[in-house]
Amino acid sequence: MNLIAAAIAIGLAALGAGIGNGLIVGRTVEGIARQPELKSTLQTTMFIGVALVEALPIIGVVIAFIVLNK
Amino acid sequence: MTEYTMTFRRYIKYTIFMLSFFVLGYGVTSYKSIFLGLTFGTLFSLYNLWSMYSKIERLGQAITTKQKVKTMGSLSRLLMGGLAVLIAMRYPHLFNLLSVVIGLMTIYIIMLIDSLSQTIRISKEKR
Repeated sequence: MNLIAAAIAIGLAALGAGIGNGLIVGRTVEGIARQPELKSTLQTTMFIGVALVEALPIIGVVIAFIVLNK
Repeated sequence: MTEYTMTFRRYIKYTIFMLSFFVLGYGVTSYKSIFLGLTFGTLFSLYNLWSMYSKIERLGQAITTKQKVKTMGSLSRLLMGGLAVLIAMRYPHLFNLLSVVIGLMTIYIIMLIDSLSQTIRISKEKR
């Protein structure tokens, strides 16, 4: 049961992070390719976006590891 | 220095400030395991910050030079979180598990507060 719980936690967290990161990176690449002079600004926005998207999956992984080791 | 590097250095500065605060708490107070856990989590969090910065920098350069970039994505950062928790669970007499998790979230809290304050400052300047 613990294994299933850990798998669901990691799987759903990775799914959300994958969709979120994909959207952010895709739009940033599009933006930099259109306007290379705005690279730094777009990178900063991407940096903050990726960080905020990745906070929850890390929590998910942490919970999964805690559940696995109980 | 670009805006991106300046932002990264600002985050590093705040994180090291928090880290020094936690080390001070470990040295001065009697809550040794809590502050050691916070310090430990923040160290991993600092690595995650650097990893994210370097990957986004490489991605930006790859777009402008029209090359490909190969990374492990966010897997390395997720596994660093897992590793921190595993170490904390292996040595429960040294690290408080909850404070390790809070320590891991330090950079995200700093980024959230900093980006909010920057947004408020910019909107006030525009008025």
